[in-house]
Amino acid sequence: MSAPSPVPVPDRVVVHPGPALLAGLESGPWLPAHRARFGPLPDVSLDDLLDRVARVGVAGRGGAAFPFATKLATAARGRRPVVVVNLAEGEPASAKDTALALTRPHLVLDGAVATARALRAREVHVVLPGERPRTSVAVLRALDERRDPVRVRVHTASPTFVAGQARAVLELMAGRPDLPVTAWQPEAVAGHAGRPTLLSNAETWAHVAHLLLAGDPLRAGLGTTAEPGTTLLTISREGALPEVREVAHGTPWRDVLADVPDRPAAALVGGFHGTWASWDHLERMRVSRAAMRAEGMPLGAGIVHVPAPTTCPLALTADVLAYLADQSARRCGPCLNGLPALAAEVRGLVAGRDGTRRVERLAALVDGRGACAHPDGTVRLVRSALAVLGDEVEAHRSGQCATRSLREVTW
Amino acid sequence: MSHALRVDWPSCHARGLCHELLPEVVDLDEWGYPLVTGEVTEALLADARAAVRACPRLALRLVEAPPR
Repeated sequence: MSAPSPVPVPDRVVVHPGPALLAGLESGPWLPAHRARFGPLPDVSLDDLLDRVARVGVAGRGGAAFPFATKLATAARGRRPVVVVNLAEGEPASAKDTALALTRPHLVLDGAVATARALRAREVHVVLPGERPRTSVAVLRALDERRDPVRVRVHTASPTFVAGQARAVLELMAGRPDLPVTAWQPEAVAGHAGRPTLLSNAETWAHVAHLLLAGDPLRAGLGTTAEPGTTLLTISREGALPEVREVAHGTPWRDVLADVPDRPAAALVGGFHGTWASWDHLERMRVSRAAMRAEGMPLGAGIVHVPAPTTCPLALTADVLAYLADQSARRCGPCLNGLPALAAEVRGLVAGRDGTRRVERLAALVDGRGACAHPDGTVRLVRSALAVLGDEVEAHRSGQCATRSLREVTW
Repeated sequence: MSHALRVDWPSCHARGLCHELLPEVVDLDEWGYPLVTGEVTEALLADARAAVRACPRLALRLVEAPPR
């Protein structure tokens, strides 16, 4: 029996106009409008590209926020590299890469093509999300409009949570099942066919392109000196279409969330692999990866999931855990055994059992013991539930629910 | 140079030989999978190499950097 995602995978999304990547949405996603807006894609040397991405601190937007300049420099060091555009957004609560594919596909592709040229790479691989057909169609249509000086190869990932993980993507490109395998070296050192492989998320490529086409975001007044530029956010609200917004770093969360009509006690920051944060805490913060990491709520891939005020966050955590356990690739023992056990224990907390010590023990047994970050991310969510939803855990233990009275709830 | 054991998790099938051969560094979790509990010191290096060779799934590696 498979557990469904508690948040449906979005194939439709509300995209708000933004200050950089999402500016000028009214002109549509087509290549002539894109070129009219930005001009031709400039030829950029590797040194120039390295210098520019390092200066504005472009970081990976798949969730890990790894510095792009470091990856680029590493990939440039060995044999002829391969460039990969990763659009496989396995996280159901995320819609930003879908938004880019639907509205700004040429920005994503320009970033990868310009970088491939600077690296003298011959191949750009584009990996599409199997569970989001409209996203795939939008990217294929955009590719049809282009004549690029590199070979473009398209792959479609399996519709699973872990299919977008870097090593799973490399497995897919190699013609094997797209499940995570152990990485003995970073893919920028040895990736596809043993070649240095520069694999980045769609949003990362769009930022690279915007930097080359429109210049330094700080000069346009976007972002802070510590974190120049903008970031894409998905505001996923229970019972509504996900909304994608582009905001400058440093924007208060209070402003970002001003439109949310019904405020719950806590929101899920960073998605299913993220952390619970109390609404008040989140509203006191600004959109800053560094500040949010320091407060124990890393922004990850830029998701904030807002449950309905009547949804019990502990019960939602249990549903998410059941889904994440089901999405294990079932290859690594601690994940295969530990995630279902964790899911059952968290379900037990909802039912009022006193299982927090067992939950903590299982979390320690799972953390860091897998080929990919699936167990680590799952543990992050569980630990934040214990830390932030303590009142709710306590209430359930005495047969209540702090969010709504227990008899109304069905689980 | 200190050494550390790393497990290739998808390959490991909880056969437990690593724990038999190197109990100083390898414990087993409640499902029988290895829990690497510490670094491999110089004194244990030969035993660690034996454990790596003996793994029937070839799921154990000795790496020179400390674990991540």
